Amino acid sequence: MKRAVSLNAGVALLALAALSACATKVERLDTSTAVDLSGGWNDTDSRAVSQEMIQDSLSRAWLQEFRGRPGQARPAVIVGEVRNLSHEHINVNTFTLDLERALINSGKVDFVATKQERLGIRDERKDQDLNARQDTRNAMGKELGADFMLTGTINTIVDPNGNQQLLFYQVNMTLISLADNRKVWVGQKDIRKLVTRSKLRF
Amino acid sequence: MFADVAAKASVPCAVACLAACTTFSDTIQSTERGLAQQQPKTALAAYEKVKPPPQDLVLYLMNKGMLLRMSGDYAESTRTLEEAKSHIQALRALSLREQALSITVNDATKSFIGEDYERVMVNNYLALNYLEGGQLDAARVEALQVDLLLREKAQKTTVVTPYAEDAFARYLTGIVYEDEREWSDAMIAYRKAYEAYKKQLKSFSVAMPETLKHDLIRLADRMGLAEEAGRYREEFKIEQTLSEAELLERGEIILTVHAGLAPIKRERATTVPNPATGRILRIALPQYRSRAQPFVYANLSVDSSSAKTSRVENVDAIAVKTLDAEMPLITARAVARMAAKDTVAAAAGSGSSGGNSSASTTAALLGLAVNVAGVLTERADTRSWFTLPGEIHLARLPLSPGEYKLKVELHGRDERVLDSSEIKVTLRKGEKKYLSRHWIPTNLEVKP
Repeated sequence: MKRAVSLNAGVALLALAALSACATKVERLDTSTAVDLSGGWNDTDSRAVSQEMIQDSLSRAWLQEFRGRPGQARPAVIVGEVRNLSHEHINVNTFTLDLERALINSGKVDFVATKQERLGIRDERKDQDLNARQDTRNAMGKELGADFMLTGTINTIVDPNGNQQLLFYQVNMTLISLADNRKVWVGQKDIRKLVTRSKLRF
Repeated sequence: MFADVAAKASVPCAVACLAACTTFSDTIQSTERGLAQQQPKTALAAYEKVKPPPQDLVLYLMNKGMLLRMSGDYAESTRTLEEAKSHIQALRALSLREQALSITVNDATKSFIGEDYERVMVNNYLALNYLEGGQLDAARVEALQVDLLLREKAQKTTVVTPYAEDAFARYLTGIVYEDEREWSDAMIAYRKAYEAYKKQLKSFSVAMPETLKHDLIRLADRMGLAEEAGRYREEFKIEQTLSEAELLERGEIILTVHAGLAPIKRERATTVPNPATGRILRIALPQYRSRAQPFVYANLSVDSSSAKTSRVENVDAIAVKTLDAEMPLITARAVARMAAKDTVAAAAGSGSSGGNSSASTTAALLGLAVNVAGVLTERADTRSWFTLPGEIHLARLPLSPGEYKLKVELHGRDERVLDSSEIKVTLRKGEKKYLSRHWIPTNLEVKP
């Protein structure tokens, strides 16, 4: 009798263990932890590239030169188009936002809202003109014009061989002076990855 | 004695049970009906009722993505086809479990990832979805991916197969690069398309598209490749064509027509009793049946300008020739499976001739059950991306910037007009507008 009970308990435990293996498992990760699943472009690449590029950009001569001009304190920068010319569908928006964050947090430059954002803000200002109290209204025509525009491309070279792929990402960024179209800084960041895909699955 | 009776009774029993089993091609009739009635939304609703087994998920997504595209829901179609693509990537590794099942049960137990041409078509349709939605850079990603896919395929292939290249994919890639103004990449892609059309003319009966002839000359001129341009002019007997600079001063309409449906896979099976053993033997193989294709060409016209489409892809021929090339392997696997199933049935019923009548009856019943199970599970793999068109046609019409009401007329044999529609477009200088038209005939009969 006792043996039968312990057998049943054992079976129940085994069943429980089997069921728990099927349950959805969520593990919270630190955002700085690098996790590579497919081998493609991911959040780690996006963040690392944006931070390194902005740091490089802010340490170059153009910033000092701009600050040296009479009456100029901090340059106003805008992020223009970052084109994805790679073989993957990369969410360029998250990369652009990473760039913006790194630029703003540096405290060395002023940052101007994007074209799309500006349209929304202008609508709001128009609305204020009609509906807001006079002492709280923000007038039109007082926007800060950008001095420089940051544009870029993400390119890849893929070299496949069997179940291995050598992925080479090259991110090129250019800072252009809006006053005279001068390229004041050109940055480049490369990432190389060797992705080995499993030949077998269940 | 009992064993003999059981064996004789098993033949009609197995045949009756087989009639109740369904293959993939049997489950899609209501979807086909919706398509034949020119009601893609009804077809989509019918198809969404299909609950795909896990191994058919990619196929389900491919068909759903195409039906969504036909219904005009490009965003959802793109999302669905991208999902299919990521599943294909994950399923490309070999599964020993599925291989064992395909040898012991049937080929349809393997996860469907599509044939090479079907996987290329996922990229092609995603590129078209992006182009029609004005996302040129996203279409360029598909162009790069299709190049990677075809390069990997060429690396893997050790024997010459009819589908070694995808001429339409190369051509579409060239169009994307030209739109991006990446002239050298466009030239390379057009050259690859030219080579592919030449090589595949015999297998797939698709002649060099008229538009590609002009594209090659225009790009070769733009690149300053005078000798190459001269060679094309001589080969195609074309003296004058629009230069790249002239084309950039105008806009361009690029129309693709997706006509009919791809061939449908049917099962071709033979079930025979083996007189020597009394057991039933069954072999089931897939076979493509082409659909009727009344569409011949489309005419795109506005005011005094017009352009006639050229056939750029014959999906029907590619599917049939691909299966033909694979038939020896499929047949060998089916024969091995038949032998394996018969051996297991023989082993299960091996005690039926002994002295003990009760044990003998049990063994005979077991042998019969194993034999019937083996026969019942022997089904051909009839899965294929059936919502692909039978043929794809393309036309390019350069127009001055402005607003237009374009007329698209679909023609059948004897110049009969099958369908006519109007599309309003606004074209800017240097802009390319991508339009598509899916057309499926009312009569979806399969050719005998």
